[in-house]
Amino acid sequence: MELLKVTDLKKIYTSRLGAAQVEALKSVTFSVENGEYVAIMGESGSGKTTLLNILAALDKPTSGKVILDGKELATVKENTLAAFRRNNLGFVFQEFNLLDTFTLKDNILLPLVLSGVSVREMEGRLEPIAVSLGIKDLLKKYPYEVSGGQKQRAAVARALITNPRIILADEPTGALDSASSNDLLRVFEQVNKAGQTILMVTHSVDAASHANRIMFIRDGVVFHQIYRGESTNEELYKKISDTLTMLRTGGDRQ
Amino acid sequence: MSMKLYSKVAASNIKKNARLYIPRILAEAGLLGCFYIMITLALDKKLAEAFGGAYLSVFMVIGAVIIGLLSLILILYVNSFLMKQRKHEYGLYNVLGMEKKHVIRVLFYESFYTSCISIVIGIIFGILFYKLSSLLICKLLKGAIVTGFYYINAGTIVLPVIAFMALDGLAYIINSFSIRLLKPVELLAGQHTGEREPKIKWVLFVLGILCLGAGYVIAITVKSPLSAMGMFFAAVFLVIFGTYFLFVAGTIFILKCLRSNKKYYYNKNHMPAVSGLLFRMKRNAVGLASIAILATGVLVMISTTVSLYSGIEDSLKWQYPREMYFNASEVNDDISAPIPAEKLEKIVRDVADEKGIEIKTVERQSNLYVSYIYRDERLYDKTEIMGGYKPEEMTGVLYITSDLYNFAQNREEASTRQKLDLDKDEIAFCRIATPAGGMFKKLPETLTVGGKEYKVKEYLERFPIEAGMGQLVNTIGIVVSDEQVLDEIYRAQKAAYGEYASEYDDRIAVSFVDEKAVSAVGDEFTDEITNRLRTEYPGEIEYLLDTKWDTAESFLGLYGNFLFLGILLGFVCMFSAVLIIYYKQISEGYEDRDRFQIMEKIGMEQREVRKTIGSQLIMQFFLPLITAGVHTAFAFPILSKLLKVLMLSNTGLFIICTVITFVVFAIAYGIIYMMTARTYYRIVH
Repeated sequence: MELLKVTDLKKIYTSRLGAAQVEALKSVTFSVENGEYVAIMGESGSGKTTLLNILAALDKPTSGKVILDGKELATVKENTLAAFRRNNLGFVFQEFNLLDTFTLKDNILLPLVLSGVSVREMEGRLEPIAVSLGIKDLLKKYPYEVSGGQKQRAAVARALITNPRIILADEPTGALDSASSNDLLRVFEQVNKAGQTILMVTHSVDAASHANRIMFIRDGVVFHQIYRGESTNEELYKKISDTLTMLRTGGDRQ
Repeated sequence: MSMKLYSKVAASNIKKNARLYIPRILAEAGLLGCFYIMITLALDKKLAEAFGGAYLSVFMVIGAVIIGLLSLILILYVNSFLMKQRKHEYGLYNVLGMEKKHVIRVLFYESFYTSCISIVIGIIFGILFYKLSSLLICKLLKGAIVTGFYYINAGTIVLPVIAFMALDGLAYIINSFSIRLLKPVELLAGQHTGEREPKIKWVLFVLGILCLGAGYVIAITVKSPLSAMGMFFAAVFLVIFGTYFLFVAGTIFILKCLRSNKKYYYNKNHMPAVSGLLFRMKRNAVGLASIAILATGVLVMISTTVSLYSGIEDSLKWQYPREMYFNASEVNDDISAPIPAEKLEKIVRDVADEKGIEIKTVERQSNLYVSYIYRDERLYDKTEIMGGYKPEEMTGVLYITSDLYNFAQNREEASTRQKLDLDKDEIAFCRIATPAGGMFKKLPETLTVGGKEYKVKEYLERFPIEAGMGQLVNTIGIVVSDEQVLDEIYRAQKAAYGEYASEYDDRIAVSFVDEKAVSAVGDEFTDEITNRLRTEYPGEIEYLLDTKWDTAESFLGLYGNFLFLGILLGFVCMFSAVLIIYYKQISEGYEDRDRFQIMEKIGMEQREVRKTIGSQLIMQFFLPLITAGVHTAFAFPILSKLLKVLMLSNTGLFIICTVITFVVFAIAYGIIYMMTARTYYRIVH
């Protein structure tokens, strides 16, 4: 089933005086099936952050449509937007974005608190997620007391606890060492296997090689896609590297 | 690098950081202005002459010293705050290749510019408001306005300028040291290392409760005005320490309690504010406690001085039921013999006739005033008591004879007139005043004085003679049968107290038909009376001519100056509190920005963010105000006792003054809150 459908998305930034126009997204069209694990790759300035911001309803496209689970994002009213984001989207950021005045537990529960969920239900939902992410013993700690990898797990738990339609991850391994990165990617795989749809923006070939599908964005269009098919992570890694080399040496669309 | 470049960088730095520097400059200018006003008033000879100004200059010098100390604390506080905010910037200069000595040179120009601007503005402010202040003083002292003086004196300008230059110099030296200690790499590595969760400091918490409790108990339970004086400062110190301790430990205790209540805590309106405050309090408790104490200071100072000032009429009425009191005695070989009241009365009547002053009544008020310790229906002289005694046991006794009492009764309405007929072992008893409370709730049936027991025959509602100390110690009046009995009592206390014994007071009390007309003649009238006295008794004499109008004048001088000082110091305290609040909010705004951005990313709505910010701000802002209100309320009993020492006994007036002061203060505080909150929102968003 199609969960996310993006049609002919265009975003033009106009400088303050209206003199210079920058076309961040030219025409982006793709769709994501329920339960898919998609990585979006592209160089700095390729438009992937703009795309993610539009998907996260933090920014509005100049033209084009984003339909999530049959609902067009542009039709969501301004004053319910925050609630819409909270209930349908889960976010994982490069810089974790945990609040250092909250314990990990409180950080994870924050979205539910904002939605006004009862204490009993919150704790009921927290338990299985904390166990499966292996942070049950860390819940009472503060962010500064745990490692980067553990922080990111807490951030993933925070994203998962609202049972979102889709998780949007922005360079989730960007601030982690390689061991923690692998760790986190395994967590993503495991979450995905359990049926969670994930859309991840990344620079890292390693991170992308864990996904089921990789989309390459260049100059504001979806330039190329790779499907995993039957490949192992290592084979996919090779394919991605080749594609990136090809992109860099200026090859045209295959 | 050339000097010009340094000064340019410094100037542009100040401009860029206007949000930080403008309040600092205004604060210093304000303090300097007040300092200037105080110093100039103290030295203004014209003003001093106009009001016989002994009080004026003494009070203003005290005020100047207080403002000087406050400025020192405040400017260093603001300075440390500024430095914290700008350390990052200085570190960056260092990393970009400026040597530390160059950074310090930039710092020098920055300090120099801000100092010059502050001082110039401050002096202008001072000169402008000096005129206003002197007008206010003229008004308060109810004197004619001294026209044409506009006192600018190089000396009064030089002193404040040098004092504040020195202050700024001190701040600069501290800053240059802290730059020398700066490690730029650490600064650039990012400031968000995370803080430890604050722990409840149980010792401090318990100590705080004890201190505050003890302070409050003292303030409430003090019985006598005399002991209030001694205990007041003890109470003040206990409350100050208690406030600091409780703000540091108590707030964290309460927040932790709130947090462990899951139902309350896991709510979108409470969770961000409670956890935010928990960490905030660790650093801010001291600042908030200072604000609370400053606010209490403002409230107490202004309400007491306003009450004193507006209560002058009342005090006079209490102290001077008649307009003039006159006694005199001849002194021969160190023995003084009272001049009989008839003679004094004749002199007064003669002079009054000559001056065309109409006398309403002249009363003879011969009496003996002795202080004792009262215990179990017995008046002990102080030498009889072993060990200490309670202040409420101190009792002043005013003795008169039944003759005088019956004479005074002639003035009364026939229906209430009551004549006494006493035997030698009988007395009449009157409870004149019980400001210290406690004693005389139960009236004695007999009374033992000087080893002799008297039977109380009558209990009197009113006593014909006023008691001078009646506001401070419990005072009773006793009517004895005749001069002989009185003389026994006189000799008994003479034997006990020796040279400190009391003497007969053979005085007359005069009241006039037209009080205003007499006070207008004033000195001329009293001088003539004393002249006449001296011609009739050419030998050595002692006399006391106490008039209501003289005392009124000195009250005005004293309390008018008190009030002026109270207003100015109240203003300065308020000013300081505002400054602390402003800087706290700004520094917190910068810290909170990241937190609120994260919350918005996670799906908190803008208006929820605003609500959270609001509730956090309100808690921080109004906690000190509420504390100040509670402190003032508890201070009320002891303050009203203290005011009795200063002869103000109108508690109703004091309540009104305190309430008005609190309301005005709360409104001003609210306005400041709104202004600060706006700046804060702007920073956070």
